[in-house]
Amino acid sequence: MSLLLEVRGLTKRFGGLTAVHDLEFEVRAGEILGVIGPNGAGKTTTFNLVAGTYRPDAGEIRFAGEPIAGLAPHRIAARGVMRTFQHNRPFGGMALVDNVLVGAHRRFRATLASIVAGRARTEEARQRAAAQELVSFVGLAELAHADVTTLSFGQGRLLEIARALAGEPRLILLDEPAAGLTPAECARLAEIIRGIAARGIAVLLIEHDMHFLLPLAERVVVLNFGAKIADGLPAEVRAHPAVMDAYLGSHAAPH
Amino acid sequence: MQDFLELAVGAAASGCIYGLLALAYLVMIRPTGIINFAVGEWAMVGAFAGFLLLTQWHWPYALGMAAMLVFMLLVGWATERVAVRPLLEKAAPVLAPILALLGMLVVFRESISLLFGPDPHQVPYPFGYGRLEFGPLAGSYQSFFMIGVSLVVFGGAWYFFERTVAGKCFEAVALNRRAAALMGINLARVTALSFAAGGAIAGLAGILIGPNISAHYLMGVPLAIQGFTALVIGGVGRVAGALLGGLLLAFAEQLTVRYAPVPPGYAQGVPLVLLMIFLIVRPTGLLRARA
Amino acid sequence: MKRAVLWVGGAVVLAAAAFFMGDYHNDVYRKLLLWIALALSYNFIFGIAGQVTFSHFAFYGIGAYGIVILLFYAALPWPLAILGAIALCVVLALAVAIPATRLEGFYLALATMAFAQLFIVVLNEGGAVTGGTGGLASYRLPRILGLDFSGRTYTVVIVLLVLATAAILRRIDNSWFGRACRAVRDNPEAAAAMGIDVARTKVIAFTVASVLAGIAGMAYAFVDNTVNPPIFGLENAFLLLFMVIVGGTGRHAGAVVGTVLLYLLPFVLSPLIGQHHALVFGVLMVAAILLQPRGLIGLYDRVARR
Repeated sequence: MSLLLEVRGLTKRFGGLTAVHDLEFEVRAGEILGVIGPNGAGKTTTFNLVAGTYRPDAGEIRFAGEPIAGLAPHRIAARGVMRTFQHNRPFGGMALVDNVLVGAHRRFRATLASIVAGRARTEEARQRAAAQELVSFVGLAELAHADVTTLSFGQGRLLEIARALAGEPRLILLDEPAAGLTPAECARLAEIIRGIAARGIAVLLIEHDMHFLLPLAERVVVLNFGAKIADGLPAEVRAHPAVMDAYLGSHAAPH
Repeated sequence: MQDFLELAVGAAASGCIYGLLALAYLVMIRPTGIINFAVGEWAMVGAFAGFLLLTQWHWPYALGMAAMLVFMLLVGWATERVAVRPLLEKAAPVLAPILALLGMLVVFRESISLLFGPDPHQVPYPFGYGRLEFGPLAGSYQSFFMIGVSLVVFGGAWYFFERTVAGKCFEAVALNRRAAALMGINLARVTALSFAAGGAIAGLAGILIGPNISAHYLMGVPLAIQGFTALVIGGVGRVAGALLGGLLLAFAEQLTVRYAPVPPGYAQGVPLVLLMIFLIVRPTGLLRARA
Repeated sequence: MKRAVLWVGGAVVLAAAAFFMGDYHNDVYRKLLLWIALALSYNFIFGIAGQVTFSHFAFYGIGAYGIVILLFYAALPWPLAILGAIALCVVLALAVAIPATRLEGFYLALATMAFAQLFIVVLNEGGAVTGGTGGLASYRLPRILGLDFSGRTYTVVIVLLVLATAAILRRIDNSWFGRACRAVRDNPEAAAAMGIDVARTKVIAFTVASVLAGIAGMAYAFVDNTVNPPIFGLENAFLLLFMVIVGGTGRHAGAVVGTVLLYLLPFVLSPLIGQHHALVFGVLMVAAILLQPRGLIGLYDRVARR
């Protein structure tokens, strides 16, 4: 399997605090990589560095062989890396399916001139059908035309995912997708994530809930205090002494 | 140099007025984030109150000024109650009260126009038309009066924000509304007071500049723009910034009129150009807010 | 097919109306139509793209003054004059929009307000070129291709212009670009994460809307065959904002409803309140924001749903 995302020597400082230090990991095409660690371990910072919200102070990030570190978020998205937000950020002024269509933004070929001339209708219809399919895939078919501000938290979470998928990414970044979900919703989410990987899309999954992550991920990277402390198969990581140490006393301790 | 000193006092006086308007914006922006563009109209109402009380009813100046201030406190409070409070309670986005206040701007302007007609009205000079000389500096009594009153107001405002507990509450609300509320600060009262104070300060600016430009129903928007430009130049964070911004703006205007090789009408363009430049290049203004 | 029939039918009805009205009513009708064109493009930049601007009327003026100056002062042939006026709008719109991308919310409004006021100052001080405070007059609509388009025919031209504006905006709104504008309005950070270039989207939206306002301005220049500064000032910019909000922000139908209401209201109110109809507008605006933020169209939706 080829390397889709390579992170080497990644470092980010905020004033005097080093949030991420010399981080190194890879994501291979079509795999589910979990990044886990206690709160404050640097997971979100790592996520934001890959997504382009932050610029790294040192290190490289390569996607499909091309460097992307420090690029603006919209350029990174254009290359095929789509993300969700931990605190749902729907576009409140549009119906659900239109929210998903925004995710497909980069897929549209029509120029403004052709839109004005009325030649963009076929593409619009085609994309809309694709968006509908994604809405069904995440299980929100009945709410396709709903006002997104009325969605429950769990439903909003599913919208985030459908929207990110609409961009036909090769890598999808999920930011604590299980946070705040009921056990039933978590189970459904895990199914959806497996479905995404089955479509050949690599998944980088940030989580601090081990119960959710370990059964789902194919490989796991463990962070603590901004550095990597373990890297490998879920079973290996679960038994790793440094990992148990990091989680000792925390409510997310593995059993 | 002689030239410059001659216009210095006049410019300083105008600068103080712009500074007062900027201060009015500031006391409302800081705790609520709301830009109340109606301060220009409030200044107009203050000027008209001055006309009514002092010119028409011949009240003594001090009494008339005091009555105007009380009236403007009420106007400010009422504006907040009608156009702002319901929206804050509904947790509407901050743009909503700003737009509602634009509607109020028009209501104020047209009401004054309805009541007083389209002609300009005279607001009296408390000390007459005389001039005063302090060495090389010379200016009208009114200019010195404006400067004096403004310095008192600015001094009071600085003292309030820096040295009193109530002022610290304002700062707290400005920094973090939710945290302030959790600490027991009554947000509604702070907001109401900030608008009342804004009304009084704007009204004061109006009655001070009234004698020079006459009370007129269209005087509001230019003043609102000049006041806001002063605020942007000086920086929203500090009371001193409002005064600094006002003075810089006034001097820029005067120097342009005096020395720039453009037709005098273009002087009106000075605050506009400065506003656009500062918004784009340095929106936080010249003085930084205290951390 | 059905939609095309509706548009053509609408065009015919609106155009035919011109021939059933006297000169005075034609004049009112033409101006109402132009206000509707302005409100539609303003609704796009304000309601759909979420940019609070006060420069819309300035661009209306740039189009109006531009076409008159290029046709009669620079003596350009009419196709070049039209292109020149449009080019002028584009250049100025970019000059305002590009630096303004970093401004949020009301700060953008203030920068555009300053721009609008500056435009008036330039008009007032423009000497012979702009006619100063008196403006420009004593010109007439030139013959185009040998045909005289003045009078009732001009009303038809304006009807077509308004419909074209509406059609263009509708198509843009229903496209990926319209969605991008809404996304930037609702949540710029999420929009960027979806691959939307936020700054570029804002600049294009502002430019398109401003150019449409400028084109309406070019038509306006020949309605009274006179242009002068007060028409393009902040008064009318506020009024346009009020129309869109009262009618229903973000909705094309809302812009039309709000404009028709607020434009015709003074004619009804004149006997009662004389020149001070702006007072009523201000009150309606405050009422709309406090009580019915979705505007009259929102009210209609609620009633229609029962």
